[in-house]
Formats: sequence, C-alpha cells, structure tokens
Amino acid sequence: PDLGGHYQFRVIVLGDAAVGKSSLLRCFAEGPAGGVATPCPTVGVDFYSCTIPLPPAGRAKLQLWDTAGQERFRSITRSFYRSAAGVLLVFDLTNRASFERVPEWHHEAAGDRPPAFVLVGHKCDLAAQRAVSAEEAGHLAASLGMVAFVETSARGNLNVELAFQTLAGGIQRALGRGGVTPHRGCGGIRLIPSRSHPRPPARGEPRQRCQC
Amino acid sequence: VKRYIRKGIPNEHRALIWMIVSGAQTNMEQNPGYYHRLLEGEKNDKLVEAIKTDMNRTFPDNVKFRKTADPCLQHTLYNVLVAYGHHNKAVGYCQGMNFIAGYLILITKNEEESFWLLDALIGRILPDYYSPAMLGLKTDQEVLGELVKMKVPAVAELMERHGVMWTLVVSRWFICLFIDILPVETVLRIWDCLFYEGSKIIFRVALTLIKQHQAFILEATNFPDICDKFKEITKGTFVTECHTFMQKIFTDPGSLSMATINKLRETCREKLLSQG
Repeated sequence: PDLGGHYQFRVIVLGDAAVGKSSLLRCFAEGPAGGVATPCPTVGVDFYSCTIPLPPAGRAKLQLWDTAGQERFRSITRSFYRSAAGVLLVFDLTNRASFERVPEWHHEAAGDRPPAFVLVGHKCDLAAQRAVSAEEAGHLAASLGMVAFVETSARGNLNVELAFQTLAGGIQRALGRGGVTPHRGCGGIRLIPSRSHPRPPARGEPRQRCQC
Repeated sequence: VKRYIRKGIPNEHRALIWMIVSGAQTNMEQNPGYYHRLLEGEKNDKLVEAIKTDMNRTFPDNVKFRKTADPCLQHTLYNVLVAYGHHNKAVGYCQGMNFIAGYLILITKNEEESFWLLDALIGRILPDYYSPAMLGLKTDQEVLGELVKMKVPAVAELMERHGVMWTLVVSRWFICLFIDILPVETVLRIWDCLFYEGSKIIFRVALTLIKQHQAFILEATNFPDICDKFKEITKGTFVTECHTFMQKIFTDPGSLSMATINKLRETCREKLLSQG
C-alpha cells in the first residue's frame, strides 16, 4: 500500500459489561488521566478519534467506537460493527466469565470477512485477583486467528497504546496481504492521500469526501 | 394544566405532579404492598447480577450514590431496579434504566414512588425501548430519521451521504432520556412534559437540537466529523437556558401530531421487521 498518505481505520471495542472498555478507550484517546475515573456504563455507542504513527512511514487516524457490553445492545450495534476494520476484544483478567465469552464475541463480530482482532486482557494491575493466565489467553487468541493478545491496565496506563498500535499494525498487514480492502463496508478503511506537508487538515480546510 | 407544566413544575411539587399526571399515583394506591412483596419475593440471579454490575457506576460523582453514603441512594436504586426487573419480566434490566431510576430517586426521595414512576415511563409512556430486542428504540430512531428528512432535509441528506446511522448519534438521547446529555435542569423540564404529554416530546427535543444547529452540523465533511458535531450540539448556552429552550421545542420543529408519529412508527417498525 501507498504509505505516502495516511489511513483511516474504523475500530470497534467489544466485550462484556464492566470489563473496562470505556476506561481503555479514554486512557488511549484522552491520556492516562482518562483511564483513572470510574466511567458510567456505556449506553448504545460512543465515539472517539485519535491519530497514531503507523510504521514504517505513515500514520493512521483511528475512528474508535465504544460499545455497550450488555447483550441486548448488540441488536442496535450489530449492523454497524460488521463494517469495522479492526476489533479490540476486551475481557477482564479478574473475571473468568468475561474471558469465556470471548469466542462468542468473536463469532458475533467476525462475519464472512473477519476484521483484524486483538484480544485484550484488561485490569492487569489487579494481579492478586487474576483469574486467567497469559498463556491461556494467548492460546485462545492464536486459535481464533487474532493478531495478538495484549494485557493492559487503564489505571496503571500499561500497554494501552501498545494494544491500539498492535491492532493498527495488524490491519495494515491484512491490507498488504489483500485480506481486507479499503472501503470495507462504508468507511471501515480509507486511504487519505497526502498533501505536501503531512499534517491533520486545519479547521475549515476542505477534506476528502467519503467515497462510498 | 399543559401550559403550567410546559412552563416548568416547581421542584417542590415535581414528584407529586409527575405521580399524578403519569397515573403512577393511581397505580400505587390500587396496589398497596405490591412493591414490598416484589422485594421480598424470590430473585432471578442473573438479573440481580446485571444490576449489581452497574451499582458503583451510576452517578459515581454524586456523593449520595456512593457505597458509603448515609442514607445510601445506591441501595435505594438497587431495590427499585430489582423490583422493577421482577415486575416487568419482559424488560428485566437494561442499562440506561439505572440513570433514569437514579433521577427519579433524587426527585421523589421515595423508593416506592420511584418504582411506580419508572413503571409509568417504561411500561406506558415509552414504547418498548428497553426489552431485549429494543424494537421500540430502533423504531423511534428511524422515526426521527424520517422526521429529519421532512423538517431538516439537508441534515438527513448529509447523514445519508456519509452512511451515518442515526443509532450512532442519538441512541443515548432516547435510552437515557437526555440524562448526562443535557444539563440537569433542562432534563427535568423535558421530563415534566414527557410525563404529561408523552413520548413525542423526545422527538421535539431531538428535532430542535438538530434544526437549531443545522448550519453547524452541515460544516461536517466526513463521518467522524458528523459524530463530533452531534456531541457538540448538546452543549452550550442554547441548552442551559432551559426556559428559552423549552419554548423553542414547541415552536422550532413546527407541528408534530401524535397521528403523524404513530403512522411513522408503524411503517418504520414494518420495515425493521422485514429486514430481520
């Protein structure tokens, strides 16, 4: 792929209720302070965006979607997360049930042409309450064909960026292999051509239109 | 009465007026002891578990909802939600109800009244927003889309062009009835009308927010921009000036009859059901 411009990836964060999806996202999008406060349950969907470097040369603008963990909300978010380029599938390392539901979430979001997945074991700062080993989670991630397994903590700001970076890298590699194509669904992946100076467009400056 | 309510119910009378105009008072009087029997009865473990998950996450910034508070509203909230989940088994517990029940508790300062008001909202005033299929919610989001097409066509066209589903930008407006989206006083004023005039008030508020910020929304040139704009339009002086805001919701969107809404609800529901 042309690394002259930058990519825009749509990323969805999925997983059971109260595993820490919103904290993880806030820690990433708003900085470490965002991951400390106890957030209210997400109702429906919530949106963030963030630009990250994408080695070797480019960068990626991530369109980040936080979703409600409660099962019934899937009926309103399902049609949407099928258009994602990448999924962070989060479980709580201290809550075994949330880990056991990972295959179900994976199946739910994979569809016919699965996006890139990164499995995230969250709340790794609570070492004493750990209920899932890294080895076990790593095996599950591999058996489901995921890009990687990453342990994170929003409270301790551990590996949060790494998780998103890994996912963006995975999406990029999938693009290279032709496993996914730009415009997956509507706007799941887009390549935005570079101008002379790669920088985010200033307010009021015309931007690339959605091609779909 | 309608005019008086639209002007805002004084806070000291709010609980009583809500109880009367919603029919909650009548239900409570006709079913003495019912609420307490629900609390004493056998519990569904899964339901209790789901409610417990959200207890520390409901208004964590409000000291009265902390675990250590005395009196502890977290405990009151737990009781109201557990009782409601066993009363309305088709709904059980849906996230969002915790915020609504929390507001009701703060206003009524009475557990049983909060329960009956929650029942008025979920069982009668709102059409099936919270049951597992959320069909009423999906329907109303589509209905809003149709109303925007009629009343603010440029915005509808923008959403369509960029493939932004209404559910992405307005689901919280409907599910939380504007809690944590609009300022508290504005929310309460909206609820005054909601209890008396019914669910079409939600459309009036949504349409007003969209119409008022039409030019601002139309500045968006891509998908994420649009989503950001919809977050922005619920902030600022337009929504904090609740008197003016409440006047606007009855003038800005123009006429909005219950007949129109019912008809749209019917066609949107058909469409959703045929899509599976």
